[in-house]
Amino acid sequence: MDNELFMNTELPPPSEMAMHFEQPSSSSAMLNWGLMDPNLARNSPPQDCFMWEKSTEQQQSIFDSALSSLVSSPTPSNSNFSGGGGDGFIIRELIGKLGNIGNTSGDIYGAPMNGNVSRSASCYATPMSSPPPMMNRTAPLTEFSGDPGFAERAAKFSCFGSRSFNGRTNSGIPVNNGKIVNSGKLTRVSSTPALKALASPEFASAARPMIPAGDSPPKLPGEFSRKRKSVSKGKSKDNPLPAASPSPSFSKTAERKEVSEEKGGKRRREDEGEEEEGNKGGNDTKPPEPPKDYIHVRARRGQATDSHSLAERVRREKIGERMKLLQDLVPGCNKVTGKALMLDEIINYVQSLQRQVEFLSMKLSSVNDTRLEFNVDALVSKDAMISSSGSRVHESGLQLESLSHHNYNNNSQLNTNVSSNNMMLHSPMKSLEPSALARGFTHLPTLTQFTDTISQYQMFSEEDLQSIVGMGVAHNPNHESQSQNMKIEL
Amino acid sequence: MASAYNPIYTDVPEKDVFALHFLQTLSNLRTQNSFSSPDNKTSDRVKKIKKAAYVSMARAAGATNRLWSRSLLHQAAKRNNKNVRFLRRKRRVTWLMRRRSNRGDPIEDVAAERLRNLVPGGGGMETSKLMEETAHYIKCLSMQVKVMQCLVDGLSPK
Repeated sequence: MDNELFMNTELPPPSEMAMHFEQPSSSSAMLNWGLMDPNLARNSPPQDCFMWEKSTEQQQSIFDSALSSLVSSPTPSNSNFSGGGGDGFIIRELIGKLGNIGNTSGDIYGAPMNGNVSRSASCYATPMSSPPPMMNRTAPLTEFSGDPGFAERAAKFSCFGSRSFNGRTNSGIPVNNGKIVNSGKLTRVSSTPALKALASPEFASAARPMIPAGDSPPKLPGEFSRKRKSVSKGKSKDNPLPAASPSPSFSKTAERKEVSEEKGGKRRREDEGEEEEGNKGGNDTKPPEPPKDYIHVRARRGQATDSHSLAERVRREKIGERMKLLQDLVPGCNKVTGKALMLDEIINYVQSLQRQVEFLSMKLSSVNDTRLEFNVDALVSKDAMISSSGSRVHESGLQLESLSHHNYNNNSQLNTNVSSNNMMLHSPMKSLEPSALARGFTHLPTLTQFTDTISQYQMFSEEDLQSIVGMGVAHNPNHESQSQNMKIEL
Repeated sequence: MASAYNPIYTDVPEKDVFALHFLQTLSNLRTQNSFSSPDNKTSDRVKKIKKAAYVSMARAAGATNRLWSRSLLHQAAKRNNKNVRFLRRKRRVTWLMRRRSNRGDPIEDVAAERLRNLVPGGGGMETSKLMEETAHYIKCLSMQVKVMQCLVDGLSPK
């Protein structure tokens, strides 16, 4: 199946490849592809897919050397590129080596490499098979993608079944510092994962003409088949994430990252890449995500397409989102940048809030023991009315009703506040109070000085208070009856 | 908060809801005999009030919608030897903890650990979920602080 996929792949004219091929050779950092294999065998330590994120210089150097060797080797035959057969061979080699590099999983090169880079037949199968053994899983040489022409060519090679196709590309030519730089640009890469690893910014544009030429690298090659077996984990993470968040950072050349995760992480379908490529001409916006059950994450330019890195990135984005949210909450956090400092600030703020609660509770305890006695029933009965704003007034009114004469004195003070809403509140209370007291409410626990707490209700919206006042005044008789009922409940 | 469309829902009810719950809890405390007895140690009372504050805050904020509030109420119920109602959460917590162990960014993990210790119920959450809970928790805490401040101001002797 993979073979036929690759058979269908149409590759751009070899001449283009020749051109691009020469680019790397002219680049300062010569990638010695010829050395690549031995280098890989020697130097690449057994690192797992995660390592690519922290790709070391070593890896990059390996990649660089490998690339340069690969580049240099075909150089003599560049002149033959225009030929049909010559380029095929070169391309085969390239792909083989590329596949090694791009394949972090290491088992990519099963069937996939059967693709026919040029229009030739499955001549690639052989070269492909050779790289895999040399390929150690580490190949997180995604940094390697510095070679623009090379990446471009790689893109053409849809036969690269390399799964963990890190879309990371160095903006510059060959691995500059090994850091995946997210330049925010997305490169359109062919669906070939391995090729994508090599994609560089320049490559993207260069690859564009090539991509529509025909790669119909439908499903990823062999490794995808392998992956299909293992996948099942189509993470149901937030799928909207790829659609929503990365969009601003996407350049017109949105790169469809195809990440097929060996370990069952996110996985992109190749056909997505196909769609995108199809739309590439007129559609610069993000193409619609096909309704798959996988997590489709859009890789940003200069970032790896490794499944783990993708997951990491998504997670980091989520955390960043929430950090912004927290930043709004915590006062004075605008100047602070960086996650660690922000988190420290947040922790300090939470601690200070908790300390405040403790302190206030201490204060309350010292106050309460002498004075604060609540009208329990009043509060309880107000539960039913809590939804309405009037409940507050009723609550306050009832509580005030139960105030002792001590509060009555305070009422006068409150009533002097003409302008505030409290005054309106007080009037019903005042009217209620004498009647309440008269009805023998004194046996209820009284809230001494609770009228002072009226001020606390000022923190509620004033409109509410006004409406409450109206209700309070109108319900004066109701209050009395209610208080009577409450008395009974007691 | 800043954005109109915030997929992370951290809405918090108004102050009056907090006030009501807090006053209710306090009144319940009042009715307890141990509370009003003069020989009660201040620290005990303080602790009770503090606990009442937190519990009422958890209830006011939507007890079961948020992990921290659930955890708070859970702890409070345990202390009172009441029935544990949120058993379902335990399994999820362990699963989350297993998942959480895979995430590792050393820089943020240290701070995240501290945050987890602060926010109730933070032990079983991933960092992103933890931040959500923290945001909601901060909102509720600040609301509760305001309510308590007003109460104290209202009740303090002139």
